[in-house]
Amino acid sequence: MPDPPRITLLVDGVEVEAPHGAMLVDAAKHGDVEIPVFCYEPKLGHPVGACRMCVVEIEGIPKLQTACSTPVRDGMVVYTQTERVKEAQSAVVEFLLVNHPLDCPVCDKGGECPLQDVAMGWGPGRSRSVDPKRHFQKPIPLSPLIKIDRERCILCYRCVRFSQEVAEDEQLQLLERGSSTFVGTFDNRPYIAPFHGNIIELCPVGALTSDAYRFRARPWDIEDAGTVCTLCPSQCNIKLTVRDERIERVLARDNVDVDDGWLCDKGRFGYQMAESGQRITEPLIRAGGELRPAGWAEALEAAAAGLREAGERTAAIVGGSSSNEDGYLAQRIVRKALGSPHVESRPSGGPGVESRRTGGRGPAGFLRQGLVELSAPRLAASVSDLDRAESILVLGTDPLHSMPILDLRIRKAVRLRGARLAVATDRPSVLDGGAEETARYAPGFVGGFVSALAAELGAAGYERARGELGADAERIAGALKPGSTVIVWAGPDARGLVGCARALRLEEDGAGLIEVPEGANGRGLREVGCLPVAGPGLSDVEQGLDASGIRDALEAGSLEAALLVNADPIRDFAGGPAWGEALGKAKLVLAVSMFEDASTRQADVVFPAESYAEKEGTVTHPDGRLQRLRPGTPHPGGVRPMWEVLAELGALLGEETGVESAPDALAAIASEVPFYAGISHEEIGGTGIRWQERAAARYWPRVDDVGARDEVPGREVEPAGRTAPEPGDTGGRAEDVDGVIRVGTYRDLWAAEVTDRSPALRFLAPRQALELAPRDAARLGLGSGHEVEVRSNGTSVRARVSIHERVKPGSGFLIEGLGDRAASLRGELVEISKAGEPE
Amino acid sequence: MPETRMLYRRVDEPGLASIETYRRRGGYRSLTRTVKEIEPEELLTTLQDSGLRGRGGAGFSMGKKASFLPRGDTDKFLCCNADESEPGAFKDRELMQKNPHQLIEGVAIAAIAAGAGWAFIFIRGEYAEVADILEGAVAEAYGAGFLGADILGSGQRVELVVHRGAGAYICGEETALLDSLEGKRGNPRLKPPFPAIQGLYGGPTLINNVETLSNVPHIVANGADWFKGFGTEQSPGTKVVSVSGCVQRPGNYEIELGIPSRELIYGLAGGPPEGREVKAWFPGGSSAPVLTAAELDLPYSFEALADAGSMLGSGSIIVADDQVSIPALALRTARFYHHESCGKCTPCREGTNWTVKMLERVLSREATPMDLDIIASVQDNIIGHCLCVLGDSMAMPVSSMVKKFRPEFEEYIRRVASDSPGLGSDGAAGLHALTGTSSLAPASGPHA
Repeated sequence: MPDPPRITLLVDGVEVEAPHGAMLVDAAKHGDVEIPVFCYEPKLGHPVGACRMCVVEIEGIPKLQTACSTPVRDGMVVYTQTERVKEAQSAVVEFLLVNHPLDCPVCDKGGECPLQDVAMGWGPGRSRSVDPKRHFQKPIPLSPLIKIDRERCILCYRCVRFSQEVAEDEQLQLLERGSSTFVGTFDNRPYIAPFHGNIIELCPVGALTSDAYRFRARPWDIEDAGTVCTLCPSQCNIKLTVRDERIERVLARDNVDVDDGWLCDKGRFGYQMAESGQRITEPLIRAGGELRPAGWAEALEAAAAGLREAGERTAAIVGGSSSNEDGYLAQRIVRKALGSPHVESRPSGGPGVESRRTGGRGPAGFLRQGLVELSAPRLAASVSDLDRAESILVLGTDPLHSMPILDLRIRKAVRLRGARLAVATDRPSVLDGGAEETARYAPGFVGGFVSALAAELGAAGYERARGELGADAERIAGALKPGSTVIVWAGPDARGLVGCARALRLEEDGAGLIEVPEGANGRGLREVGCLPVAGPGLSDVEQGLDASGIRDALEAGSLEAALLVNADPIRDFAGGPAWGEALGKAKLVLAVSMFEDASTRQADVVFPAESYAEKEGTVTHPDGRLQRLRPGTPHPGGVRPMWEVLAELGALLGEETGVESAPDALAAIASEVPFYAGISHEEIGGTGIRWQERAAARYWPRVDDVGARDEVPGREVEPAGRTAPEPGDTGGRAEDVDGVIRVGTYRDLWAAEVTDRSPALRFLAPRQALELAPRDAARLGLGSGHEVEVRSNGTSVRARVSIHERVKPGSGFLIEGLGDRAASLRGELVEISKAGEPE
Repeated sequence: MPETRMLYRRVDEPGLASIETYRRRGGYRSLTRTVKEIEPEELLTTLQDSGLRGRGGAGFSMGKKASFLPRGDTDKFLCCNADESEPGAFKDRELMQKNPHQLIEGVAIAAIAAGAGWAFIFIRGEYAEVADILEGAVAEAYGAGFLGADILGSGQRVELVVHRGAGAYICGEETALLDSLEGKRGNPRLKPPFPAIQGLYGGPTLINNVETLSNVPHIVANGADWFKGFGTEQSPGTKVVSVSGCVQRPGNYEIELGIPSRELIYGLAGGPPEGREVKAWFPGGSSAPVLTAAELDLPYSFEALADAGSMLGSGSIIVADDQVSIPALALRTARFYHHESCGKCTPCREGTNWTVKMLERVLSREATPMDLDIIASVQDNIIGHCLCVLGDSMAMPVSSMVKKFRPEFEEYIRRVASDSPGLGSDGAAGLHALTGTSSLAPASGPHA
């Protein structure tokens, strides 16, 4: 997008250059003039001009104007320091303080309070008000995480605007009116919404305070440490508030290309996991059945000995929170020191992964080809492209759960620009309400849907589908604008996307694909070689086993050692508890973990893992942006940097990496990943850099070099199920078999270790629920809250029934990541039986 | 000087509210001509040439405002502001109650002029009975083909909906009205964009007062020059003036703009009761700066009242005689606007609240003369600094009262401070005398 032309205006007699159309408040900053504001916050959308703090004089306009809502034009003459302006601004401060308690000495905001700053800078210095101020009960919980002090509130509207116009949860309201106005919720219900913590940061006074941070520190006690949150693929930029080497708070570190300055509550309150007293802080070695603390030398030696013995019968599972450096070194140890090709980072697969039906042993060329095509720089959309695209397709994922910050970004595109949104998912999405078109396919049949969509878009080689599937695909296709569409997608079976991408001309500017990986650093790990089908830089390697293959091989004894780097497959991978049995059979399980969990219970050696707050390294955002993790707190106890530990382990196994620092580790990656060539910490800087925008992007592998093309584009790999559906009618499949429910699974935002390990978030931990359409619930004689057992092929899961209008009949949905076997039921036809009455 | 009745012509004829009587008296001929003979552009020109100024308060040229709407095929709207809530104003109520079809015809013609296919009458919630009458009349107009998808077979479309407000003064502010009509909290919007460009549901919207639109059929019937024959050069036409407060014959009077104000107050409304004198008067509703007895000879026109530092506003005169305590009147006025402030912008929300507290202290023996300075200064800090005009609506009259009647405030403080008996009741009596006839004045007055 071209930058707006620059214009010149005169602010207090000084020529200021600014972009045309910028708001005067922002334009004035180019001339080092600060105009005070309260309600103005560009992140919240259009200015509202409510607080009146920013009034200034503009030549030619008789009344004072609000600088927050006045776009600048060439030749504009502005005065911000005249008596008239000073009096008006001073009057607004005086008005605001008429009802403000001025309890700064006991207020958490004191010292970092915009009201304090503006009152000192622009206020009259004394109040003429002697009348009683208004009183409220205070502080009271607005939510389990936020306290509200209504006496301090200056009614700037920011929190309410956030709730109504950014998160669109619409729970916060202004109640009553005039000077009796107060912020609250309908019927005093708690404000529970996944992004609600942002209002704490938006509040320009101490009216909204974090329960977890109240009275924990003063601004002069703390230091800010900028890093990146790796609790999900959003990779939001954050600032850790550190006091005495402890994290006390997490704030947004605005990066318009990543997070738009917002955080989800998981990122905001999940820091408590890093500060948990239950962390493993020393290496552990199993002796006599028990894990006991050991020194690093002993533990490294024990691990090396076990790995040496297993040799090529070793597999590595690298978890999504691992940095590029962790992943790179782990795969290098396994591939080079041990000679094993078995490295995996994807809990349930990804593009180009064969299903269990074919045993995950397809030709490596074919699998790599899918990756190379769909992740190619020319098809990549950046997060900011969502601000430009005329249409957006959300396919096979619900960003609220998989990459929360994109949920807000997509809402913004629809709300502020009228972008056309289409949603095609198996499970109803929270974005449905703003979508122009929605389509529901049967759980697991995204591949069939994408093929049908490719056909509707006119892609060569795809046949139009019949029936409901065809009609759905046609509607979705109709909502998409060729050359200006961003597709946000996730899923293992989306090869038809190549056809869609060509037909929609996604290689054009402001269009493209954003794949949401399962792990926070899923993309980075893939690019540094944590795949069974590709090495660093998607290079050609001997093909290894995928996750389920590794599990089966461990179970069968053909693999003997497992290296789990920041991964708990028992919780996070398909198969769940089956991993417990597999790991139990391994001769050596080496786990790198922050906590004792189901997987460390099977471990022989445990290395304590770093939290993201301690880590130094890099991660790669789903849109290709390399970002830096910077240590904000020291490592607790005996925890050491993982790159250092892995480099030492490699050396013990005879693989000298030469890595002696985090920059060394990145340099090693850059030397092996051609499209990262030459990248350094300095270049990545504080806001990151997309590798697609660097010259080295031309070293992305060429599709033609990656082996045979699939000659039958319409033929999709289907998920496991009792019946293999016919091509063309897969979308209607679930309904065809009366009385049968096909189960889909999703990873709920809160079904995560961080929820359990952070006291503030624990109340959000979900219970297993089976979501059903009303028709199916009625047919099965089930009501909301009934306990049921969901069974297939000997796997069973207990759940509570939850009935939803928008669930497609014939579908049912379970939550993954709760430690049960729900993920194993994905795509299965199940039997459901009642196991209890509603509580 | 007699009234000059145009809008109020035959207003007391029984059955005028029915479509038959209205048509028998020539009603809907202008609309019929409009759809059959007049091009919308010509209609706009006529309205602009007539010089008709908005009767809701701001006095902006109606034709000019209509011409601001972009031409072309976008969805455009017309909103009739019938949220008559200003203390002292009750003219629209009588216009709608007794002659609803005159308004409906005006709405339809103005909608066609502006190219608006949808029109809404946003009527004050408390006017439930009037809304019933209006709804009946709208149904009649639909039945007779004067409203709907194809007015009189001309292909012109105007759909009209009567929407009842929920009881907030602020919803008479045009952008708050739009928000309320959209189902949101009725708070004013930041301008620009102005409603003519981006109004209801984001579409170009023409918003006019009941009386303004009621003028339209007459202008179409008789032409712009005929209309300009009434009133003054800058204030053409007639004006319905609600006169209330301390007068013997409160009610609505339709006059030619520009007649001496004294004629209205003394001649038509009978002046204060025997033996009393006018002390202060609001010329344009309770939000207008008060004028004194010395200003009774000002011509009653937009320009003359503006020159005198006040305004014609909605054309509602409230008279306070020598029995009325001005400090009590100031408090009564401030309380109204404090109660009705939406709370969105700081100066209005906090300023009205603070002013009420200070005036309460004036009336409860706790104020000092310095408080009068603060009261005056706070009003100055409100005026011109708010998001909409509600804050000014309190600050302007209160400021004018403190400035013009300061000795009375000071005397009040002194007398109260010396604990002299009787003054408290004085104030209360003044308040009662005023509030008894301000916002709840009889709808009919002398026409009943």
